[in-house]
Amino acid sequence: MNGTIIETKNLTKIYNGKIKAVSDLNLEIKEGEIYGLAGPNGAGKTTTINMLITRISPSGGTATVGGFDIGKNSLEVRKLIGVVPQDFTADEDLTGRENMMMVSQFYNVPKIKAQENCRNLLKLVELEEAADRLVRTYSGGMRKRLELIIGLVHEPKILFLDEPTLGLDVQTRIQMWNYVKEIQKRLNVTIILTSHYLEEIDELAARVSIIDHGKVLITGSPADLKTSLKGDIITITLSDEKSAQLMKTVPGALEVKDMGQNTVKIKVVNADESLPNIINFISQHELSTVRLTVQKPTLDEVFLEYTGRSIREEDGGSDARKLAINMRRARQ
Amino acid sequence: MSGLGPLTVRELKKWVRNPTFFVTNLIQPIFWIALFGSAFDITKFFPQASSYVLGGAPNYITYIVGGVLTTMGLFTAMFAGTQIIFDRRLGPMGRFLSSPIRRSSIVFSKILSSVIRIMPQVVILIVAAYLIPNGLKFVHGFTVLDVLVLVTAIVLVSFIFSSIFSVIATRMTNMNSIFGIVNLVNLPLMFVSYAMFSPAMMADWLANVAKYNPVSWSAEAIRMVIINGNLTTAQWTQVGQWLGGLAILAAGLLALTAYLVEKEIRD
Repeated sequence: MNGTIIETKNLTKIYNGKIKAVSDLNLEIKEGEIYGLAGPNGAGKTTTINMLITRISPSGGTATVGGFDIGKNSLEVRKLIGVVPQDFTADEDLTGRENMMMVSQFYNVPKIKAQENCRNLLKLVELEEAADRLVRTYSGGMRKRLELIIGLVHEPKILFLDEPTLGLDVQTRIQMWNYVKEIQKRLNVTIILTSHYLEEIDELAARVSIIDHGKVLITGSPADLKTSLKGDIITITLSDEKSAQLMKTVPGALEVKDMGQNTVKIKVVNADESLPNIINFISQHELSTVRLTVQKPTLDEVFLEYTGRSIREEDGGSDARKLAINMRRARQ
Repeated sequence: MSGLGPLTVRELKKWVRNPTFFVTNLIQPIFWIALFGSAFDITKFFPQASSYVLGGAPNYITYIVGGVLTTMGLFTAMFAGTQIIFDRRLGPMGRFLSSPIRRSSIVFSKILSSVIRIMPQVVILIVAAYLIPNGLKFVHGFTVLDVLVLVTAIVLVSFIFSSIFSVIATRMTNMNSIFGIVNLVNLPLMFVSYAMFSPAMMADWLANVAKYNPVSWSAEAIRMVIINGNLTTAQWTQVGQWLGGLAILAAGLLALTAYLVEKEIRD
């Protein structure tokens, strides 16, 4: 359960001799875990995945997947893995089931076994009724679900999920998360998940690497990363200036900031433990509060801490967008 | 782990399920033989010389059946590569490239399925040519061996041109580029050959160039067995040379395709 199943050493990819998409990337992924790769568009997540699934070859460095070198033993690597790429890959002119059966033949799965796998997987993502319809009649969410199980039809040991919920509505996204958890639990596969939705990584991944400009900035469990920021933030607005001044003397705070307008921002190690003390302090001094909010750090804050900017800003940033477009072009 | 089987079945399913694609494919041979057979029949202008011009064929339809069959193979084969671009644009290529299949099987499935699609067209064309008035006549009979020559020639021509156009397609991302190339070369390949006209009807330079066109080799080989039925040893040697040339070219191009595709097919 705890062996290393994927390891990269200084993995590098340069497109067209100038666009450095991935640069000296080092990862170590353990068997059976869900491992997240988080980062903005153009950070190098998909390029990393494409190298690990042997769809493109690296410009430098090495990587092993399931003990096989991605360069020398690419065929062995491909036998071990299942892939759910960012884009749709199913043939629209075939039915969902036909797509699955075709892919199962690529892996020489015996027909009876393949049929059984198809039935179980279709049931898992609730696509049984649509299974024998042409894929072109599917909705976007249905196609994503189909992609998810096409990657599993040959019972791979390792599953790569590249932005599995990109472009889906919130409800469907949560539904996809449940399917992914269910798959990991039932099939005991190692899952490598990329996403620029940090809440998705937080929800699913046991460990995560934050990637930016093709490099790993930090690796750890989402909980550890958030704790490493040392600070839940409690914001209290009081009824008058005097109370606000008094509030600033509350004991046990890491940092206290006067935000003006009778508002005090208190940074504590853990809000769950500090909040009772703060409430006691308020009642002891008979302060009257107007508003009290508790903000626990999300991975967004972690991202901000390590990259110096927000992942959301990055989405709209013109440089990053240009880089992402260039990389997409270079890949074609 | 070749993937050739499932991928070829996929292509054929797409063909049979698309009524427009399927039906037009099957009607096309009837159109071609009926139209070409009368449009290009210039023997009516000099009836006395027709036997010389047609190399012993009793009429023009009998003469051009070999040419029309070859041209049909050629045209179908030239489009074999277009599906590669569709697969890349619509996504399935990503799935194929991350599967443990030989990369060449992706391209060979297009080539093989286009060859299979040509076969019913061949049958329909021959039946249509036989049924139309003053149509195909087997004056000296037609043996199983002759059928074999006919099928071999068309299969080889299909392999040759589908290989060439598939390799071109693996390097292209835009559908219009491949259509442009097909349109540029299809009519020259057809008319700079003995598919529709005998060398006697051509300008000298044209006849000389056409000699090196594989379309001519196939058309002439099929023509030889259709017109003569039981061939003499000398005629068999000639047919052997044509088929041999086609086979060497096809084998070379298929090997080259396999080599280039394994190395270079991209997403």
